[in-house]
Amino acid sequence: MPSASLLRWQNDRRARLAEMDAHCAAAAALAPPRPLLAEEGLRAYAMLLSGHFQGFCRDLYTESSQIIVAQVAAHLQGAVQMQFSAELKINSSNPTVETIRKDFERFGFTLDFHADQANGPRVTHLGEMNKWRNAIAHQRPTAPPGVPPLTLAGVQAWRVSCDGLAAWLDGILYNELRRILGVAPW
Amino acid sequence: MAEPAATAFKVGDIVKIRLSGFRPGKIVEYRGPLGPGGAHIYRVRVRGKPYPAYTEVREDQLELVPAGS
Repeated sequence: MPSASLLRWQNDRRARLAEMDAHCAAAAALAPPRPLLAEEGLRAYAMLLSGHFQGFCRDLYTESSQIIVAQVAAHLQGAVQMQFSAELKINSSNPTVETIRKDFERFGFTLDFHADQANGPRVTHLGEMNKWRNAIAHQRPTAPPGVPPLTLAGVQAWRVSCDGLAAWLDGILYNELRRILGVAPW
Repeated sequence: MAEPAATAFKVGDIVKIRLSGFRPGKIVEYRGPLGPGGAHIYRVRVRGKPYPAYTEVREDQLELVPAGS
């Protein structure tokens, strides 16, 4: 059974991104061509994808921390919640491997992305997506160094990777919380 | 995430967190039904500028502070 966070990713966030995907595909196929519309749409799509993946990570962190909080005495819950919230990176930083690792390792385990071979290309895509996110947000005119140009196929590949990482993270948190709590967390 | 119609609090409400030593703070974000059993979770600013601090709590931990009190 997936977390509420993964269900939201699968049923809401993914559907919204699919709409944006269709919009970008349609904009790219317009006749006569409207290259500025296609380019701006693609840039928006990349930003939204990174934002939704960040949102999923925030949701999963919150959901996991509240499950832990519910296990402590009522008079301690406020203190534990404050500790979980303090200096949380994913609230204000891009969803990079480093940000995700630092935040989720607060639960007391090593988050090793490379433990799953399938994460190799996913991690590469996540890095490209976040570099493009910054380039777009800061209105840089060219691709970030060492990163492929922004294309619809590229953003679609990032989306598949985010999907895989979301399911992988959900599984990791399920197992770690079950180990900590002794029962299934969701 | 947009607040559903059935939540007891809304963004902008001033609330007290039960069993905490914090002064009343403002709800700054509805985080969704992410608590155990689908409990609604809110992000509350418990300290203002210049060094704001935030926490995330369940709906049942909050008390509304009436305006003007």
